[in-house]
Amino acid sequence: MSALAKAASAWRSTAEGVRHAPFVHAIAVVTLTIALFTAGLARGADALIQSLLASLGGEVRVTVYLEEGLPEEDAETLRRGLEQRVGGAATLVTPTDALERLGRELPEVRGLLVSLEDNPLPPSVELAVPEGRRTPEALRALAMEARRLPGVTDVEWGEEAVARLSAIARVLRLGGAVAFAVVLLATVTIVAATLQLSIYARREEIEIQKLVGATDRFVRVPFVLEGLLQGLLGGALASAGLLAFSRSAGPHLAQLLAFLVEGGVAPALLTPRLVMELLLGGALLGLMGSLLAVRRFLRA
Amino acid sequence: MIEMFHVYKAYPGDPPVLTDINLRVEKGEFLFLTGPSGAGKTTLLKLIFCAEEATRGQILVGGRNVARIRESAIPFLRRNIGVVFQDFKLLPHRTVEDNVALALDVLGVPRLQARERVRGMLKRVGLEHKADVLPLKLSGGEQQRVVLARALVNEPTLLLADEPTGNLDPVRTLEIMDLLRDVNVRGTTVLVATHDSTLLSRYQKRTVRLEAGHIVSDEDGVKAARRMVGA
Repeated sequence: MSALAKAASAWRSTAEGVRHAPFVHAIAVVTLTIALFTAGLARGADALIQSLLASLGGEVRVTVYLEEGLPEEDAETLRRGLEQRVGGAATLVTPTDALERLGRELPEVRGLLVSLEDNPLPPSVELAVPEGRRTPEALRALAMEARRLPGVTDVEWGEEAVARLSAIARVLRLGGAVAFAVVLLATVTIVAATLQLSIYARREEIEIQKLVGATDRFVRVPFVLEGLLQGLLGGALASAGLLAFSRSAGPHLAQLLAFLVEGGVAPALLTPRLVMELLLGGALLGLMGSLLAVRRFLRA
Repeated sequence: MIEMFHVYKAYPGDPPVLTDINLRVEKGEFLFLTGPSGAGKTTLLKLIFCAEEATRGQILVGGRNVARIRESAIPFLRRNIGVVFQDFKLLPHRTVEDNVALALDVLGVPRLQARERVRGMLKRVGLEHKADVLPLKLSGGEQQRVVLARALVNEPTLLLADEPTGNLDPVRTLEIMDLLRDVNVRGTTVLVATHDSTLLSRYQKRTVRLEAGHIVSDEDGVKAARRMVGA
């Protein structure tokens, strides 16, 4: 009964606080909205970059060259073994297939190729490496392992391109993490500062509450609820903003990136999961800001 | 109810505000604390409800040593002490009822029950018809009665009043003092800090006089009143 009455009192006090200083609360909500909108946009951009990397990474193929004249059964055994090791598709390319492909890719020399007496191209196995194993280290290890197999003469895997892609991804992730930390810190500081204004506006009430026997927790709870509500509202507004942005700019972006992204479809900017993350993130930021502000005030 | 043993209070760089205070107030007693401005009356009251910390000495309130009390325990001590301030300390944007209910909110008393108790207390101080009014619409005497209602609504065992009539005209002063006397008759220990000598002679209660932070006299009501008349 007492806890319920205290909760009811805290909600009344929260409502009173919002009514008392609406401008201060609006500033906090706008700050949170901007921060969360930016974070959401960054998440969307990250998903797009990941999609681009996956798309470009999909071009990375490991080609395992086999000995000329290797019997087809042995080549097939090798292909199966490699498929198992890699965990992705392994395609056996016979010398005939290779010659046909070369003819298709370079039509200007097709005539020359047809006139060859012997096919100079060796048989090979082409490996499609799954996304998680496209790091330079994993690919290097795979190449070394494949080279040691009997019947294998050489392995090619575009080391430089993979290393460059990985470096780009690393830099983007690191940059994103640093930007996120800066936005987080700035938001918590601004929310704490605005809530401190709200607390300052109600210092008289707090003083009287404490004089009549209010505990620190009793004083703290309404402000924490204010922070929580601000965060949730900020998260909801940021989601609405992202939805509006993706509706207006999404089709243009998809068109722009169609030739780069796998399947030609850019990932959705706003997903239900992102909405949940924004609401949760907003609530956490609001809570952190309010706890920081009240703690500072109560200590003073 | 209250015992003070060799209590000192000083702020760094200033002369002591209270020096070697020894005082005993019995349960159910009514005591005037008097003396000129700056004598240390308010500080002494603040020490009792832990708004200030004693530099030295021991203070027992209801058997509890408040000089060594943990900060987290202070709210629970204050719930047994009603405090009336000269400057009222009312929330201007809350109604009279909400202001009085504040003391019950912190205790977690359900709203309906609190409302009933608040209305009863407002009736006792003669303000039941002003429950929905904002404090600034009230006279000084009425505001002080609201403060008194807030201080008494959770039935404290001790009531501290710091110059409760300092801002009031003589008629309102008597209204408040009669209420304080009534509270005391019902069993609450009452400490009133005042420099108004007419109150001392009119109400004839035990009077402790402070000067420059020292207790210079501690007399029963008749003796103190006689001295006031003589003076």
